[in-house]
Amino acid sequence: MSINTIRYAEDVTVGERLPQVDLPLTVYRLVMAAGANRDFNSIHHNTEYARSTGAPEMYANTSLLMSSWERCVRDWAGPTAQFDSIRGFRMKAFNTVGTTLSVHGEVTSCELGQDDARVSIRVWCESAGRVSVGPGTVSLRLPRREQAGPG
Amino acid sequence: MTETDTRRPEWMQEWDPVIAAIGRDFAEGDVTWGADPVEPGAIRRYLEPLEFDCPLHTDPQAAAAAGLASVSMPYTGVISWTIPVAWNPGEVLFDSAERDAQPVITRINSPELGIGPRTTGFFGTDIDVDFERPVLIGERIGRRGRRLVSCVPKETGVGRGAFLTWESDVITTEGEVVARIRVGTYAYVPATDYEAGPAEPSQAASDAQQARNGGETA
Repeated sequence: MSINTIRYAEDVTVGERLPQVDLPLTVYRLVMAAGANRDFNSIHHNTEYARSTGAPEMYANTSLLMSSWERCVRDWAGPTAQFDSIRGFRMKAFNTVGTTLSVHGEVTSCELGQDDARVSIRVWCESAGRVSVGPGTVSLRLPRREQAGPG
Repeated sequence: MTETDTRRPEWMQEWDPVIAAIGRDFAEGDVTWGADPVEPGAIRRYLEPLEFDCPLHTDPQAAAAAGLASVSMPYTGVISWTIPVAWNPGEVLFDSAERDAQPVITRINSPELGIGPRTTGFFGTDIDVDFERPVLIGERIGRRGRRLVSCVPKETGVGRGAFLTWESDVITTEGEVVARIRVGTYAYVPATDYEAGPAEPSQAASDAQQARNGGETA
């Protein structure tokens, strides 16, 4: 399924896993992310500074991590999904430079309504062999196929 | 104060005024506006390091097909697009050539509380967001209020400080609430400032999680 493909509620299976997203955390990526999301805190792009604060290395900032959840869910859900909430986005460990951040998701519920369905997805990040963010829940709405009309 | 309280370490007691301020809106209802309205160039830069290929954020026709009036900001942009300007005309931002010198003014880190201990370390720990609707190109958003929801002093592997939880509304310039956000932070004095050796990093994460599990009030 491409990102342009509409996912309908009827396509969802509770328990199904979302395609994993892998993001190697290079210095280059961290600097690009800091410049884009405007979290210029030096802990996210300066090893020496990060270590002076007690961290082992420079590490991914909050916006980069949270938007990685959005990308993982959006890749799967397609453009018509409407996000309702992100809960339990908890950063448990530093996602340091030189590791690969992998983002995972699993559908935990799908409640069909008249016009759409409320879908809950358990999402988490892994880095350096352990869960580093979450697991939390992304809640969204997907259209019903019979409500979508022709096309 | 109980007998147990008197045995609490001095650094922990310094947080008592902050604990007493739980429920207070430190922004007194003021709005901190993001630096700029949502615009295509900033969205593109946001997507690039994520390799995030979603036409809702780049293609007006795809956005229209999804029922939106224009291209939308990624939902998680509620953080970035509510960060205020880094510099205003007339301000001096950098006054030192030292390699790791910090800007004279920074609006990223948690603002001074005016009460409690002075901390120099800071990082985010957790976030909950409820979205009311997508934010579209041309809209400018800001955070209204900064209510302290919880304060849990805790020594972790990186230092001595407290886990703080803050609550704000994300609003448009018309005053419409487009999201509600609850942000957890850890503000601390780095262990390297009061100990000879550096802290064990892996313990920091463990301690942080332990403290969060025991300190969740939001």
